[in-house]
Amino acid sequence: MSNFVVPRRSLMVGGAALALVPAISFASSSPDVGKPAPLFTGTDSNGKSWSLADLKGKVVVLETTNHDCPYVRKHYNSKNMQTQQREAAANGVVWLTLASSAAGEQGHVTAPQANDLTRSRDAAPAAVILDPQSKIARLYGATVTPHMYIVDAKGVLVYKGGIDSIPSSSTSDIPKATQYVRAALGEVLAGKQVTEASTRAYGCTLKYPKTST
Amino acid sequence: MPRILVLFLAFLTTGPAFAQSPASSVVQTDNVRAELVSELSTVKPGEPFWVGLRQTIRPKWHTYWKNPGESGLPTEISWTLPPGAKADPIVWPTPSLFDIGGVTNYGFKDEAMLLVRITPPADLAGPLKLAAEANWLVCEDVCIPEDGKFELTLPSAAAATPAPPATRALFEQARRALPLESPWPARYGLSKSGEPTLIVEARGLKPDTISNVYFFPADWGPVAAMAKQSAAIAADGIRIPLKRGDAKAAMPATLAGTLVLTEKTAGGSVRQAFDISARLDPAFVPAAASLAGAAGAEQLSLAQALLFALLGGLILNLMPCVFPVLAMKAAAFARLAGHDRAEMRRDGIVYTAGVLVAFAAMAAIVIGLRASVGDVAWGFQFQSPVFSLLIAYLFFVVGLNLSGVFEVGSRLAGVGQGLTARGGTTGAFFTGVLAVVVATPCTAPFMAAALGFALSQPAPATVAVLLAMGLGLALPYLALSMTPALQRLMPRPGPWMHRLRQFLAFPMYASAVWMVWVLTQQTGSDGVLYALGGMVLIAFAIWMLRLGSGAAAGTWLRRGLAAVAVLLAFAVALKLEDGPATAASASGGPNAGVSFEGWERFSRARMAEAVAAGKPVFVDFTAAWCITCLVNERVALETPASRKAFEQAGVVKLKGDWTNRDDEITGVLKELGRAGVPLYLFWAPGADKPKVLPQVLTESMILSELSSIQQTRR
Repeated sequence: MSNFVVPRRSLMVGGAALALVPAISFASSSPDVGKPAPLFTGTDSNGKSWSLADLKGKVVVLETTNHDCPYVRKHYNSKNMQTQQREAAANGVVWLTLASSAAGEQGHVTAPQANDLTRSRDAAPAAVILDPQSKIARLYGATVTPHMYIVDAKGVLVYKGGIDSIPSSSTSDIPKATQYVRAALGEVLAGKQVTEASTRAYGCTLKYPKTST
Repeated sequence: MPRILVLFLAFLTTGPAFAQSPASSVVQTDNVRAELVSELSTVKPGEPFWVGLRQTIRPKWHTYWKNPGESGLPTEISWTLPPGAKADPIVWPTPSLFDIGGVTNYGFKDEAMLLVRITPPADLAGPLKLAAEANWLVCEDVCIPEDGKFELTLPSAAAATPAPPATRALFEQARRALPLESPWPARYGLSKSGEPTLIVEARGLKPDTISNVYFFPADWGPVAAMAKQSAAIAADGIRIPLKRGDAKAAMPATLAGTLVLTEKTAGGSVRQAFDISARLDPAFVPAAASLAGAAGAEQLSLAQALLFALLGGLILNLMPCVFPVLAMKAAAFARLAGHDRAEMRRDGIVYTAGVLVAFAAMAAIVIGLRASVGDVAWGFQFQSPVFSLLIAYLFFVVGLNLSGVFEVGSRLAGVGQGLTARGGTTGAFFTGVLAVVVATPCTAPFMAAALGFALSQPAPATVAVLLAMGLGLALPYLALSMTPALQRLMPRPGPWMHRLRQFLAFPMYASAVWMVWVLTQQTGSDGVLYALGGMVLIAFAIWMLRLGSGAAAGTWLRRGLAAVAVLLAFAVALKLEDGPATAASASGGPNAGVSFEGWERFSRARMAEAVAAGKPVFVDFTAAWCITCLVNERVALETPASRKAFEQAGVVKLKGDWTNRDDEITGVLKELGRAGVPLYLFWAPGADKPKVLPQVLTESMILSELSSIQQTRR
C-alpha cells in the first residue's frame, strides 16, 4: 500500500519514464525565431496556390487578419498597413495576408469578400490567402489579429509579434509607436540581424474553429 | 452587429438613470458597466485612501488582467489629479484563465474591482477632484475596446469619513479577491534546454489535498501563457514546470506572478492566491518535465489512467529495486528450461497471479483506509518512517541473500524468502508478491499520476488502475512463459547465473542505502543510527543462525540470541514512531512550523480551565501544511485590528498544532465531527458550548464575534 512513502528525490528516478509519456501538447505553440519557418501551402482569393517552399529566395511577410477586429481596423483605417504593404512590395518582399478566421466566426471571408475588402481598403498584399480552418495560423501559433511574421530568403523565421509597439486601438498611437515590422524588414533587407525579433503581438483573439482547441 | 446596436439603444435609454453621486461615477458601455467608487466619503488631506474601478461585465464576456495572456489587453486608467496628488498603479485581483479556442487569456468575468491608492495633496483645501480616463478591452468571441471618463469629487475635512456600508462592503470583497503576499520563498531554475521550472518552497503539503495549481506570470515574455500547467506537490514544495515565453531577452533575476491553488479541507474546497516573486537559482537545473509532474493538475480519464498504469507497471521491471527479483525469477526460469512447456506456462500465470493478488491487496488497503479514516489520515502514510525502515531492512536482507550470506530455502530465511524458495506453484506465486513488495517504494514518484487518480476514484476504478499496474509488471515474464520463441533466446543455465545473482546484491544494497536516506529525511540524522544499528542486528542474527548448524547444545541459545537481535532491530521502529522529531522534520525547514507567538499551546485541560473561569476562549486548530489555516491567520487572526480586539476582550488564545499526529487534537476534531484542520472554536464567556466558526475567516468576522461579547458584557 505504501508506495506513496517516498515522494522525495525519487522524482528524478521517474525521469526514466519520460520517453514513454506523450508530451502535453499546447494549443498554440509558436515556432522559434531563428528556426526554419513552418512550410505551408494555401489558396488565395483568386484561386492561386501559394507554397512557402516555392518562395525561397524571397523575403515573406505574413499578416493574420480579421477585418472586423478593431485592432486590424486601426491599422487599415490609418493606412498604416497598406503603406507598409506597398513599401514591402517595392522592395521585392512577398506580403501574404492570412484570412484565418474560422468559418462562422468574426472575420471569416469568402474569396469575393476578400477581394472586395482589398479593393475598398486599398490594400496591396501580394495575396490574401484563405485559411478558413485556421491551419496556417495554428502552424505559426498566431494568437491575435494582426499577428505578424517575417520569413527571410533562406526560409528562416526572423520576426514574430506585433505590428508595432503600442498596444491600443487608437490610431493616434501609430505615429508614436515603433513600427516593428518595418524596422525588422529594413534589417532583413540590409542583411542584418533583426534587433527586435520577438515582440508581444496585440489585437483580437484569433478566431479559431470552435470544435478544435 | 445588431446585438450591439440593441445594447447601445438600451444604454441610451437606461444610461441617464445612473445619476452621479459624489462617491461614485458610472459609465455604461455595450458590455461593461464601470463605476469609479471611493472608500471614503470625505478625505483627509495628505492621507492615502482607496478608490476602485468596478467593472460589471456582461455575462460570458471578460476583461483582462495585467498580463492578458496570449491575446487581449489589460485595463488602463490614466488619472488627472490636482497638483500634489498621487495615484498608485492598479492593484489587481486574482485572475482566472480563459481558453478561447486554444488561445490562453488571463482576466476577469462577471465582476472585477481594480483598486488604486490615491494620496490627496497635504495642502488640500476644498474638495478633491479625481478625473480618470479608463480603457479596457472586453471579449467574448469578439473583442471590443471600450473606454470611459470618470469623475469623483470628494469633500475634504480634518477627519476622513468612510463611505456608506454598501460601498465599504465592495472594498472588503475586493480585498478578499486580491492575492496575498506569499508565505513561502520561491525560486526558479532553467533546464538545459532553457525551460523554466518554478519551485514554491511550501514544504510538507499534502499532495492529495491540493489541486488546480496554476502560476499566472505577471508579465508577457519570460514565461508563456499556458493552457495547462502540470504542477507537482513534492516534499520540497510545489513544483511547476513552465514554458519559456517568446521574449528573446535573458530570463529575469526574479520571476513574478500569482500562484493559485485549491485546497481541499474538511469543510470543502478553498481557492487561494499568492503573489510570488521567484529568484533565478542557477544551482537548480530541473530535469525535463516528468511524469510525476503530471500528478498535480493533470486530469486523467480512466482509460488514460489505465494506460499509464500499465506502462508504469512495465517500466517497473527496469527499476533497480525490482530487477534482482526478476533476475532471480529469470534464473529460476532458465533452470526450468527444457521442462514441460505447460509447466512453464503455469509458472508464468501463477507469477502473474501473485503480482495481481499483491496489487489487489494494496487496492483493498487503500479503499479500506479511505472508508475508515478518510483522506486526511491517508496523508500520514506518505511520511511513515516505519515503513521506510522496514523496506530498508527488506532490501538489506534480500541483498544478503543474493550475496550468498544465507541461502534461500534454509528455514532461517525470512518468511517471504522462505515461501519464494518453495518449488513450483507456491514459489512462483510468492515471487510475484515479493516483486510487488520490493517494487513499491520505487514506484511512488512514477505512478503518482495514475495513483493519484486511483485514489480519487470510486472503488472499482481504484482496483482497475492498480490491477493494470500489476499486469504491466508481470507482463514481460508472462509473455516469456507463453512464447516458446522467446524462451529459445534465454541463455543456458550455468555458473554465470551464480555470478549474476551475487552481482545483483549490489543494487539491493544501494536501494537500502537510498531508503535509509529517505528515512533520515523523515526523522533527522537519528534515523541513520537506528536503521544501520538494526541492520547490524539483523546481520548478527543471520550469522548466529548459520553457526555450525549441527551442534544441538548451542542451537537454542543461538536461536534465542538471534531472536533477541531481530526483536531489537524491529523495536527501533517503535522508537521511530515515538520520536518527537518525526513529522516535524519531515514536513520541512524552519519556515514550515506553526508559530505560537501570542498564543498558548492547546490542551483540553487548559481550555476547560479557561472556560470554567468564564473567560472568552478562542481555539485555533492548525497545521504547518494547511494553507487555508495559514491564510486565515494572515488575513483574519493576526491582523493588527484582530490582535488588538483579542487583547481588549481578554480572550485566551489557544493554538493546537496538528502538523504531527496528536491524539488529543484528533480526539477533539472527532468529537466535533471534523476530519481535519482548519477548525476554529470560540467560547463566549459563560457559554456551555463553543461556536464553530467557518473554515474561511475574515477580519470582520473575528471583530464582530469579539464585539458581540463586549456588548453582552456591558
